[in-house]
Amino acid sequence: MLSLSIAARFLRKSPAQSILIAAGIAVGIGVQVFLGSLITSLQTSLVDQTIGNSPQLIVQATTAGASLDYTAGLQLAMKNESQITTVVPTRSFSAIFKKGADSAPLQLIGGQLTQLDTIYDISGHLTSGTAQLGAAEVMVGKDFAEANALKAGDIAAFVLPDGKPAKLTVSGIFDFGSAAANSTTAFVDGAYAAGVLGLGADQYTAVDAQVSNVFDSKTVAESLRAQPALSGLKVTEWQAANADLLSALKSQSSSSYMIQFFVLIAVALGIASTLAISAVQKTRQIGILKAMGMKDRESGRIFLWQAAILGVSGAAVGVGGGLVLIALFTFAGRNSTSLFPIHPQVGFVVISFVVGVLVAMVSSLIPSRRTSKLDPIEVIQGG
Amino acid sequence: MADVLLHAEDLGKTYGAVAKTVALTAVSFDLQGGEFASIIGQSGSGKSTLLNLIGLLDTPTTGRVVLNGHDTAAASRKQRATLRNDFIGFVFQFHYLLPEFSVLENVLMPGRIAGVSVADLRPRAEEVLALLGLEGLEGKGANDLSGGQKQRVAIARALMNRPALLLADEPTGNLDTVNTKAVYELFRKLNRELGTAFMIVTHDRSVAQQTDRILEVQDGRLLQDVRNSYIEAGPAAEAEPERGPAAGDVVPDEEPALEPETSSVEPPPSV
Repeated sequence: MLSLSIAARFLRKSPAQSILIAAGIAVGIGVQVFLGSLITSLQTSLVDQTIGNSPQLIVQATTAGASLDYTAGLQLAMKNESQITTVVPTRSFSAIFKKGADSAPLQLIGGQLTQLDTIYDISGHLTSGTAQLGAAEVMVGKDFAEANALKAGDIAAFVLPDGKPAKLTVSGIFDFGSAAANSTTAFVDGAYAAGVLGLGADQYTAVDAQVSNVFDSKTVAESLRAQPALSGLKVTEWQAANADLLSALKSQSSSSYMIQFFVLIAVALGIASTLAISAVQKTRQIGILKAMGMKDRESGRIFLWQAAILGVSGAAVGVGGGLVLIALFTFAGRNSTSLFPIHPQVGFVVISFVVGVLVAMVSSLIPSRRTSKLDPIEVIQGG
Repeated sequence: MADVLLHAEDLGKTYGAVAKTVALTAVSFDLQGGEFASIIGQSGSGKSTLLNLIGLLDTPTTGRVVLNGHDTAAASRKQRATLRNDFIGFVFQFHYLLPEFSVLENVLMPGRIAGVSVADLRPRAEEVLALLGLEGLEGKGANDLSGGQKQRVAIARALMNRPALLLADEPTGNLDTVNTKAVYELFRKLNRELGTAFMIVTHDRSVAQQTDRILEVQDGRLLQDVRNSYIEAGPAAEAEPERGPAAGDVVPDEEPALEPETSSVEPPPSV
């Protein structure tokens, strides 16, 4: 194709100009890939930190404080939801911790440690003591332990919901990375909780669950609500309870999109202006090609091809550069707790590449039209 | 007499919409295939405008051009481009070579525009390069040549598609006298050997006198259309150098006298 070979030759004979345009596209797409992946991974990290170690769906009795029967039907309904990854029935109650004249409220969640770990990963967050929940044992959070000078092996005194006192041994101390969770949540054995609440073997205060894609929790909750086995029960999901977090995530996404959009606009303007200059520089050549019989459309394609070549090469370098930046960022943060790993998504990277090529192509429309409309007589008469 | 290659009928060109400038008025003539003609006139007389109109580079305000039987009056830009590519070769004062391409690639260009593959075009390109004494320069860049060489490459390129008509606008305007002479000798040789019709725009009467027919343009009008009897005598053939002319050649040649066939109008002084 003649227009392609002329386009390639024009680019090769102006290497500095060609490299500058391709570099502009590369920087734009590199920023796009890095920033887009950074924001996505930051959100994933934020969501993971906020709700990763907590139930994303909770099934409870409609009446506050009432228990529910964990029937075979309910178990099957939960199991049939393909998005649900973990189901843990729990028995929760509030108690008051007492130490001398001091007291502090605490939410105690009762269950089997192995099951509780599938959601809360208490064992994985253990900072001292042993990960175990015996009949009269409790695992408390780091902040709660520090505030009340408790350490593993100590005996903690509580006042239970019915007013009776209870003494539990602190078997282990965990750190969920959140002062709120560490200060207000503790875990006890499920059978012990059943005794405190006066519940039977199949009776629980809630059924906690996690889903594979946290942002699908609404859909899964809707689906569960429609199940006959859940009639008379209420299903709550994390998004309804975390509107502020969602709003923050959306704002973050919007600002990220804005930055990416304006970076692309800047790239497009840069390409358009440079190609327009190039079109002016090549006016004489285009004019003489037309005098020799080149058609308008073929001559217009020269700059479209130039843009395509620059777009593909620039976007490819940009994607590569963006991925290298991501690798460096991840490498730098490998031992840091404040940094998080960036996971580039293939789909997003492919879209960024395509966007880069399209932006370059669109930017070439003005010089391409100008070239297409050029009359050879303008060049011949101009000398 | 050969068939009519070019029929120019009542050609006129006016520039500008508000302030109108009349560049050419009611010019009519026929050019036969294989003719060796020139258009002469002072600077601003309209001779280049006439060449651009018959070369389909510009559109006339009045009249029409019929090229090889194709009436171009209602032709689209695309059709005009195709006709230029098929029938016309151009040589301008400025060589207009494409600096990004080599000598060979420049010569190949009209054929490539016609959609022919490089492999199929190569023998023809080598043939015209040899005809113009440009062997060995195929791989050189267009900017690595001397002025005379550049103009010969431009002529080779114009000949690439075997045009029936070669239009030359002050083709030696940028060349020294030695190269100027060589180029006109070459035109004459190509006209004789290939049968290509030539129409050469010049302001130099001595150059025009070496052609077989002179169309003189003055103030946008065709002042006279004369045939040079020197065509029958053919001294140019005798003056033809034994080998093809090349840049640097000095070819002695007597300037033939202009003998108009029908001339009641005295030719204007040389410009």
